[in-house]
Amino acid sequence: MYYIISKIELDGTDSLKYSDYATTESDEVAIQVNEDYDATLGKFLAENRTKLNIGEASVSTFFETTSFVYEARTQVDNVDDLNLLSITEFNQL
Amino acid sequence: MSAPIKGNTTSANPTPGANSYSFTHNQNTGTNRLLILQLTMSNVRTYTGCTYDGVAMTQLYTINRGGLSQRMAFFYLVDPPTGNNTVVINFNNSVWNPISIHARSFTGSGGIGNEGKTGGQATPNTQSLTVSDDSLIIATACSVNVVSTIQIPQGDNRTFATHNTNRQVGTGAISANAGFSAGTENIRTTSTSGSVTNDRVEILGISSPATNTDGDFFMLM
Repeated sequence: MYYIISKIELDGTDSLKYSDYATTESDEVAIQVNEDYDATLGKFLAENRTKLNIGEASVSTFFETTSFVYEARTQVDNVDDLNLLSITEFNQL
Repeated sequence: MSAPIKGNTTSANPTPGANSYSFTHNQNTGTNRLLILQLTMSNVRTYTGCTYDGVAMTQLYTINRGGLSQRMAFFYLVDPPTGNNTVVINFNNSVWNPISIHARSFTGSGGIGNEGKTGGQATPNTQSLTVSDDSLIIATACSVNVVSTIQIPQGDNRTFATHNTNRQVGTGAISANAGFSAGTENIRTTSTSGSVTNDRVEILGISSPATNTDGDFFMLM
C-alpha cells in the first residue's frame, strides 16, 4: 500500500484545499506527517470544530501563521501515472 | 458464471473543510466495470451527491445513525471511465469533522445486488444477506468503540481500513475472491465493547449469457 501525502492550504477565505503532493510506502514517514498535522491544523480543528460548524470561527485564523500543512491519511494500492514525488524520509518534504 | 474481480482501492480519512472533497482513484481496465464508494461522517452535514470523472454516481443508500451521530452512505457507478480520475463528494455545507472514505473498483461485475443495513446492536452484531451465485459481499461498521472484526461470512475475518470520524469506523471489508453460492450468508461485526452497526452490500458476478438454443421458438403469423 502507498500513502498519498496531501498538501493542505487555505482556499478562499474559509475552506481547505487538498492537493496530492507525494507518495510514500513508509509507515514511519506517514506517522511523522500525521503527528505533525495532529499537532497543528488537526489541533486547531479539534479545538474549534463546534464554532466552525456554525460559522462562528474561520479556518483562516490558523493560516495567518502557517501557509500549508501535510497529511498522509489516504492509502491506495496503485500509484501508476500519478506522477508524484516518491519519498522515503520525512525531511524530503 | 464468475465472481467479480477485485480492483484498486482508495481509503482516506481527511477533514474536508469545504462543501466538497476530491481525490484521485484509479479504475482498472476491463469489461463490466464497477466502482463503489462507502462513506461515514458526522450527521451535522448531509451528502448531496458524488461524481467520478464528472459522471454522477448512483446513491444506493444514505442513512442517519442518530445514536452514533453519524451519516453513512453507499454510492456506485456502473462502467466508470478507466484510469486515474477524480471522485468528488459533495455536501450541503462545509464539513469540519473527519470523513471515512473507501473506494473500490471491480471488473467482471454484474452490478449491485441485495443490501442490508442494521443500526447499532450489542457486539457481536450478526446479520444475514441473501446473495446470488458468484457474488461478493462488502461491509462496513461503525461504533463508539474500536471496530475489532468484520467477518464475511461469519467466522472468516476480513481485513478493513480503520478510520476515526469522532466515532470508530471499519470500512472496505470484502469477502474472499471466490464468490458465494446462491443462498443466505451471515455477516458479523464486532467492537471492543458496546454496540456496533452492520451494513452490507452484494457485489454481483456475471451471469451466464442467455442462450437461444434451449427451447422451441414459435413465430405467430
